[in-house]
Amino acid sequence: MTWTCEQTEARLCDYLDGLLQPSEQIAFDHHVNACARCTPLVAGVSHVLGSLQKLEQVEPSPQLINSILTATQGPQTWRNAKRWLRGLQSPRFVYSAVSVAATIVLLLTATGFNWRKPKLADLAPAAIYRSADSKAHVVYGRSIKFVSDLRVVYEIQQAINENQQQNPAIREQTIPQPSPQKEPGRTDNTNPSSPKQQNRADGIGRTLEILACELPVLSGSLMERRTP
Amino acid sequence: MEQDAQLVQQCLQGDGSAWEELVRRHTRRIFNICYRFTGNRTEAEDLSQDVFLRVYRTLGSYRSAHGGFATWATSVTRNLLIDHYRRTKRDRITDSLDDAMPVVENKESSARRPDQQALLGELSGQVQTALTRLSPELREAVILRDLQQLEYAEIQQVLAVPEGTVKSRINRGRIELARILQQMGVRPA
Repeated sequence: MTWTCEQTEARLCDYLDGLLQPSEQIAFDHHVNACARCTPLVAGVSHVLGSLQKLEQVEPSPQLINSILTATQGPQTWRNAKRWLRGLQSPRFVYSAVSVAATIVLLLTATGFNWRKPKLADLAPAAIYRSADSKAHVVYGRSIKFVSDLRVVYEIQQAINENQQQNPAIREQTIPQPSPQKEPGRTDNTNPSSPKQQNRADGIGRTLEILACELPVLSGSLMERRTP
Repeated sequence: MEQDAQLVQQCLQGDGSAWEELVRRHTRRIFNICYRFTGNRTEAEDLSQDVFLRVYRTLGSYRSAHGGFATWATSVTRNLLIDHYRRTKRDRITDSLDDAMPVVENKESSARRPDQQALLGELSGQVQTALTRLSPELREAVILRDLQQLEYAEIQQVLAVPEGTVKSRINRGRIELARILQQMGVRPA
């Protein structure tokens, strides 16, 4: 197979890339070695390719990246500010900020800060201390009272239990007994001044009956307290 | 390549540091394409900046399924370079008359310098000069293939021409370059 100059030139790319088939390679070499036009052409192109590959990468000036970033995203300070603001969007920061805000709100509320009419003077350390001190005393007083009340209730309960153990008959006495003679709509011998008073009296009576059922000894202990 | 696509996604979500990373990764390559095409450092830097400005504005139109970010950015670079070439065509016509002198100077100076490194540097300069004398369509094909080492398929994507045309342009570009270098007095060793 004999190649022409045009064929050789057209396949020069494949020759340089090493993509020619063996038979094509033979035909290419055969023509190039014999042709006075193609021999310098192939040598020249091979030289060009070698020269191009020897060309080193040129380093851009160090300011280029900065000027590109400035042209696209604005000056350095603005970029830093945007980056900082973006950092605030992270969930961790948001959770922390919310926690801190909630703590501050709780503390200010506890110290008596008026959220409806906020005053700068209320945030003064002395005012916060005064308010916190007052609140603490109030809370302390209420706690003492609560504990004292609990103790009284406990003592009463204990006294009732002791009384119940000593005198079980009281329980039966305190259970309200239905009056067979009394018909619905009729009262005892008392004459209430008005139906409203009657209803109230009936209500109080029912409440007492329930209390007596629940705390049968209470009536006994109260009676004991009254007797001395 | 995947990292580039990920960075682009982060950029689109407003992550400035991702854009900075993209710029750092591709500035050198884009600058070199521009420099080899124009042969002028200042012009190349200005063009590189324009390339990134355009990339930044059109980042939303990039689709990773259609090819790598580098190929896409190279397409943008190529389009800008062609625009730039057309814009400055008139200036170059007047300049080309002055270009004959440096050729003679280069030829003479090559005989004067015995130092191998200096010769290599001089050859690089001559190759660069020869490159800028190529027609833009041959120049871009040679730069992408022989300097940027892109595959034919990638060049086809960048230039938006069939692979046969790509090969033909590269071939013609190399032959033309060899001819210009021969005219400049640079011969194969």
